[in-house]
Formats: sequence, C-alpha cells, structure tokens
Amino acid sequence: MTIATHLDPKYVSRGELALGGLSNLAPSLRCASLLTEDGFSVVEVAGKELDSNKFASMASSTQALADAVARELRLGDNEFVIVAAEQGHVIQVRIDGHPLVLAALFSDQTTIGKSLTAARRTARRLKTLLMAQ
Amino acid sequence: MSEHVILFAGPMGAGKTTAIRALSEIEVVSTEAANSDREAADKDTTTVALDYGEISVNAAEKVRLYGVPGQRRFDFMWSILAERAEGLILLVNADAANPVETAIEYVKEFFALYERGGIVIGLTRADLVPEALIEEYANALADEMPDVLIPVFTVDARSNADMTVLLMTLVANVELKQAVGVRAAPARRAR
Repeated sequence: MTIATHLDPKYVSRGELALGGLSNLAPSLRCASLLTEDGFSVVEVAGKELDSNKFASMASSTQALADAVARELRLGDNEFVIVAAEQGHVIQVRIDGHPLVLAALFSDQTTIGKSLTAARRTARRLKTLLMAQ
Repeated sequence: MSEHVILFAGPMGAGKTTAIRALSEIEVVSTEAANSDREAADKDTTTVALDYGEISVNAAEKVRLYGVPGQRRFDFMWSILAERAEGLILLVNADAANPVETAIEYVKEFFALYERGGIVIGLTRADLVPEALIEEYANALADEMPDVLIPVFTVDARSNADMTVLLMTLVANVELKQAVGVRAAPARRAR
C-alpha cells in the first residue's frame, strides 16, 4: 500500500528539521507549512493563530495559479511566489524534485528580500536532507 | 458582446476539468497538482485552484467557464468564483458513495447561484452503476426543496454534445431569469 505523501515519515521528519531551521534563520517568521502540491499540510511551525490546514490549502491554490500564469505567459518555470500585504508577507518555494511546497508567513518586521533568502535556503536544505538515506 | 459566467462544481473525480475541456474553444487554463489523496479519487492529478475555458454561443455571446476544486478544503475558492458566476453546472459521479446526498449537499452549498441564474445537474459515470435513475435525484431534490426546479441529465463529461446540452439549458435558464428580473424591476423615471 502506498503511503500518502503528507504522512510519509521521511517527509515529516526532515520537514520538521528544515522548518525548525527556518525559525532560527528568520525571527520574523509567524508560521510556515511544508505542504503537498494538492494542499495537505505535512509539517507546520508556529502559527497558533492560524488554521494550518486552511493555510496549506490556500498556499496550494496560490502556487498553482502562479504556476499557471507563468506557463500561460511562457515565462518558464515559476521560481517562487510572494504575496506582500500591509502587515506581512507570504513566500512560497517549491522543493525541487519533490511534490512539496514550502509556504511561510513573515511579519512586516523584516524585508521581503531577507525572508525570500531564508525561505529559499530552507527549501535547498530540505532538498539536501531528502537526498540523504 | 454579452457574456455569461458559468461555474462547474461537484465532488473530486466527477469530471469537471474534463467537461470544461470538452466544451472550451480555447486551450483550458488548468491548475492541476499531483493527487496524493488516492482514497478520495484514484487519479494522478487534481484541480487545486480553478479551470478556465471559453465558448461562444453565437457571434454576440460568450460563455466563460470556471471549474472549482472538488475537495472541501478548497472551499475558499468556491466562494471566490461563485461571487461572479450566474449559474452552476453541478457534476456528480453516479458511481460514488451516496451520490444523491452529495448532489443535494452541493445544491445547498451553491444555492445563491440557483437564485441568481440557475443550476443544472449532470450525472456522470452513470453507465458504471446498475441503476442511476434521474427520477431518484429529482424526487430527492423535490422532497428536500419542494419549490426548487433543477433539471437533471445523465452525461458523459468527455462529450461535447452532452455538455453543450447541459450548458445551453443553463444559459437559457439564466437568460430567462434575467429577463424576468428586468421586467419585474420597477421602471426608473428619466430625469
């Protein structure tokens, strides 16, 4: 029997490691979720004030819409998604080679550039962690 | 050119993306992701935001077709897309568990669209079950919502002809409601 992606112990344990690292990298992190492409949360950190399942579903839709826009405009592969609002920003990055997306919500206490760097670094670290046996 | 906006809803695996692809004259914009929930539906991909297609009814009328994801965890997309829609094509796979109850549940969920323009139901995969009686659905709807009239068809979501019948029935409903609404509205006095 095939195990569902969001319940895969390898994704869960290594996702926890990577997301823990993101909290240390970016103190302005409000919450983050590692989610499957189809919107199931694998691991989440912080964000007690948010419904993590809804956050994962919305991130899945946003990611797919952004990918569709890039595809329709023939821009090549979509690298990341940024939603910048008055009181914070959401950054989403795909985990290269896996059906996973990292979505992170940061407060407005930091710049989008710093948050993006932290999110991309975390995505790369997770990819490396997943390569190890 | 006048336009209609029609929404396609229904459970995962009912054939919403397939139906929009069967109808659309443009290449459909899809937002499919790898499906990790094989228990809900045994298929490789699933829609996670929307499907979008277009069809011309005649030289002066265009219909925009929007499909929503089937899973309830994406219900925020249901509200976003339902806001500007005028009518609903509800697809229900007849071979799923409790399809009649599912149909009624979705009608209730999208009832604002019935009031705005109309709802039609398409039963898909009806050939895969021993009996998928349209009357069963019609009677259940009549019991649950006695004053509501919703046409029910069996359709093949892959068939342009089947889906066109469903769409045109709905568009006729929408136009009729709009015409009645215009007539019923009080005449404005010119200044």
